[in-house]
Amino acid sequence: MPHYAKSEEWLRESQRLLEARPTTTRITTKYSIKTPKVRKPKPTDAAAEPTTTTAAAAKPARGCLALKTYDPVSGVTLKYRTSKAAEVSRLILCLGKLSRPMAGLPELKDEIMADAPANEEGTPAAEKSEAAATTTSAAPAAQQQPTPAAGGGGKGKKKKGKK
Amino acid sequence: MGHLSNDEFFTKLVELFDSRKGKDHGHIFLTQKRLSYDQPPLPEPTSDTILPDLHPPRPLPVLIRATNGKGKENRAKKIKLSTVVDPEALPAFFERYADVCKAGMTTLKPRDRSKRKTKAKKKKTTTGAVGA
Repeated sequence: MPHYAKSEEWLRESQRLLEARPTTTRITTKYSIKTPKVRKPKPTDAAAEPTTTTAAAAKPARGCLALKTYDPVSGVTLKYRTSKAAEVSRLILCLGKLSRPMAGLPELKDEIMADAPANEEGTPAAEKSEAAATTTSAAPAAQQQPTPAAGGGGKGKKKKGKK
Repeated sequence: MGHLSNDEFFTKLVELFDSRKGKDHGHIFLTQKRLSYDQPPLPEPTSDTILPDLHPPRPLPVLIRATNGKGKENRAKKIKLSTVVDPEALPAFFERYADVCKAGMTTLKPRDRSKRKTKAKKKKTTTGAVGA
């Protein structure tokens, strides 16, 4: 049950899982509001005690957003968690991106790439179409790649994934 | 409960988010998956396509659910919403969905600009590294 530190990694792995198991995989977004924990003031600074308690009481409830991709058949769970409001709309649009393989639509990026730098990378595009044809075997194999390696070479791999 | 239309779903979802506004606890669950019920059957698996669901003959709709996570003893308070999004309506749906969620998720941390400013004042070199 991996927890990803980066939403891009979560998105990439979720996309792979959805390509391999589009019928059973589901994505749950949990938005939870929690009361902030009241920290016990240190016994030594008794003078500061009243101010810290009032500060804790005034602290607004903190929400958190957790994304989970889960396939009940293979038991794969991929998670990502954030508490930043700035990420919300980007993450929901990620969900929209992930809904494409869910609906059985082709990946949108490929269409854009097909008409943009066609001269630059003729061969990779051709390879990609071949890969798409053999997704049945390729996707589950790719999924089994060790994640630590992916984390190490994060930048290079991410770029590859985007192409 | 039957599925709502996309428009109804959004109005109810806004209500659901509003019901949690100003509260200090609670959850909202949003789920999405491929709609596989009441769909024309997929072609029989052949040697070429062992898993026919990987390449369906035509795009399938996506089911979106929203709930406030109440159950068991709080069953009466449970709110359950669901809608079916057609494949061609997906981009428009998710744009609106993002707006509704952004407006509804008010307790998340806003971008903290004041902290960055004080940091910049303290150490100019480190912020340069962070910025790069």
